[in-house]
Amino acid sequence: MPRDLKLFVVDTGPLIALAAAQSLDYLLFVDADVVIPDAVLYEATHDASRLGAQDIIDWAKARRASIEIAPTKAYEAFDAARATIPHLRQPDLGERAAVEVIEEPDRLIGDERGILLCEETTVLKRVVVRDRERIVEISTLDFLRILEAEQRIQSADAVFALAEQAGRLASRAEQMNAYDETTRRAIQQLVVRDQTG
Amino acid sequence: MDDGQKRALEAYSRGEMAALELRRRLGGATYGEVLHFLGEAGLPLPRAPVDGREEQIGRAREWMFPKHAA
Repeated sequence: MPRDLKLFVVDTGPLIALAAAQSLDYLLFVDADVVIPDAVLYEATHDASRLGAQDIIDWAKARRASIEIAPTKAYEAFDAARATIPHLRQPDLGERAAVEVIEEPDRLIGDERGILLCEETTVLKRVVVRDRERIVEISTLDFLRILEAEQRIQSADAVFALAEQAGRLASRAEQMNAYDETTRRAIQQLVVRDQTG
Repeated sequence: MDDGQKRALEAYSRGEMAALELRRRLGGATYGEVLHFLGEAGLPLPRAPVDGREEQIGRAREWMFPKHAA
């Protein structure tokens, strides 16, 4: 049953930081529908060698019933274009997909509200929130600090410290060059498309 | 990494540059690679300042945990 609160993960930062800190399940500590645009998941995971990528895919599969991987036209078009340009890159793909999901007319209905979970820094200023009565944007650290204030986790800063430590410890020399057909298939299996649309 | 990219990484760490802009300057780096670069440079992850955003953070908390809201 849909909940009144939607938690939109609008870029890769929260996923990667939480994955690096082995804390992705914190997204589920809130009584909210967790919505991840397909392109955001793709950007975070398309190369299995990247920090947190495999953890995110494993988590998304394990928590498939608890999260929604939202399909977008932006990712659909990108995926189709890759058929002819296999190494196509589109730096703002995730952002465009996130905007598309947030602006879907039936995404927030009735009394439903949305929280946009973003990376730190000035990305918070870039998100244009048109309906401020129903939508607020917060950073990953804001989110963690709220969980800490509600005594759902012990320390927000400790989670961030773990992510920083993962960044320091990860050996770039050990990176594989796994690329992205596996992820592509995984995302296709996770995306729930509206068959009537 | 050249000096301009190092300065961009430092600016990002201080919260003065958006991740998307940093990634562009780093030749399309991912957030995970940014974490690597920060780690290699001994720089912390940026912390978005709370000042000026207290109201929206408070509202988010109220929505997330309504029964505990003041």
